[in-house]
Amino acid sequence: MSFLRKYAALAWISARSNFAYAGEVGGRLMFLSVILFIFMCVWKAAFANAGQDRFAGYSLDEIIWYLALTECIMMSSPRVTALIDEDVRTGAIAVQLVRPLSYPLYRLASNFGEQTVKFASTALVAVAIAWVLGGPPSNFGTGAMMVLIALPMAFVLDFLGYMLIGLGAFWLEDTTGLMLIYSRLTMIAGGMLMPLDLFPEPVQAILNALPFGYIVCGPARLLVHPDWVSLVSLLWHQLFWVVVMGTAVALVYRLALNRIALNGG
Amino acid sequence: MWKKLANYLDLVYSYFGFNLKAKLEYRGAFICQVTAMFVNDCIWLAYFVMVFDHYPVVPGWTSADVATLWAVTAAGFGIAHCLFGNTLELARIIAMGGLDVWLLYPRALLPHLVLGKMSASSLGDALFGYAVYILFLRPDWQHLLLFTVLTISVAVLFLGFSVLSGSLSFYLGNSETLSESWRNALIAFSTYPLDLFDGKVRLLLFTVIPAAFVSGYPVEALRKMSLVDAWYSLLGASLVLAVSIVVFHHGLRRYESGNMVAMRG
Repeated sequence: MSFLRKYAALAWISARSNFAYAGEVGGRLMFLSVILFIFMCVWKAAFANAGQDRFAGYSLDEIIWYLALTECIMMSSPRVTALIDEDVRTGAIAVQLVRPLSYPLYRLASNFGEQTVKFASTALVAVAIAWVLGGPPSNFGTGAMMVLIALPMAFVLDFLGYMLIGLGAFWLEDTTGLMLIYSRLTMIAGGMLMPLDLFPEPVQAILNALPFGYIVCGPARLLVHPDWVSLVSLLWHQLFWVVVMGTAVALVYRLALNRIALNGG
Repeated sequence: MWKKLANYLDLVYSYFGFNLKAKLEYRGAFICQVTAMFVNDCIWLAYFVMVFDHYPVVPGWTSADVATLWAVTAAGFGIAHCLFGNTLELARIIAMGGLDVWLLYPRALLPHLVLGKMSASSLGDALFGYAVYILFLRPDWQHLLLFTVLTISVAVLFLGFSVLSGSLSFYLGNSETLSESWRNALIAFSTYPLDLFDGKVRLLLFTVIPAAFVSGYPVEALRKMSLVDAWYSLLGASLVLAVSIVVFHHGLRRYESGNMVAMRG
């Protein structure tokens, strides 16, 4: 129990420190409003010009609610890559390694706290905007509950992807480029801009075989189309990818540790 | 006047050389950032082309128009921040009292200050813009000439807008987040066709978020080979730059030294 308690304390500290940055929250929410408004205009035009009231089972209102949630997930995405990069470059990782903590678990706990606060603050505004633009959703209660069940594992999976890129700092001069490409893949292949069901079928088959959709599209789809079978399927897929990515992180971390050379001082 | 302009262009050229040499000190990181931004833009373009091909978002718009929109916006943004990269940090520089060191030079403050840094990823944007326009759209020399003029016009607009948003720090204290959100709003609106928006939003896109002069007139000028639209683009960009210069110098009167000790190599 004490093993878990220290990581829970780390998550709480990280969450509290994120409450302090009101300016950053304001900026994020302003950008969220702009983006949701643009998305609404795009899809409104697409529905009107096509003369249809549904695309692949999604109405305009459902797409707006879907996009509100995907934006919240992406905007609360972790900065863990930059932090690991900094730890490696400045040598601060040496200090982290002497603590009675596992470095990856320390980063996971800290990230979880930060991401939870960011998600909650963004979601409050996103719900308000989506309510104004898309009207009240049907089955909101059930959908929201399923989202809350699916999100923790989505956050862990998201973290593992960024952690893997961050560990690249042990070999590369700079990981910002890799992070940029990875985050774009999460946005597009994960379904941030539109549900994966709206992609052409051959593309859908490829995207469903990747982990990104289980971070972004899976939870957001449950908000507008809540369904217990889909929830269970999503959780299984998330678990599978957490095991795969977790193993990859553990292996790469072990290799990275072998590259550290410390001098006293 | 021509002598002054030639002198300034010479300074721009020299600073570009110095900044590039500084970036090349970390050659791996530099190449990684440029390549990553290039790939990032390619991912976005592929996504947008797919969406516009599958959904009738704007009637009459083809994938070539979408590519033109992205090419103009990316190249303009890239040129602006590759040459005048310090504008991206203007809000922070002002808030931290970092203007002191720039005020000591015998050169005019603003045109000198903006040259102080190069944004490596912006070079990737600029390369992407020209590569897409030349390889994807295969223009004749008139279109290529007009494209070059329009990317310079868009670069002038981004330069002016970054100075304007950065100058908020003179009035609001540290407005780094607000400045960045405002700039992101311009970028977000600039990557969608102007025809998507109407009413009051369209008014905003001609004033507070002047995306009409990035994705509106320049793209129309290239689609129809219209010199009138090209003139409107240049006029809008010059106006934004003029307003930014006035606001910066008005704000400068409120600037207080931070007594920060700084040195430039």
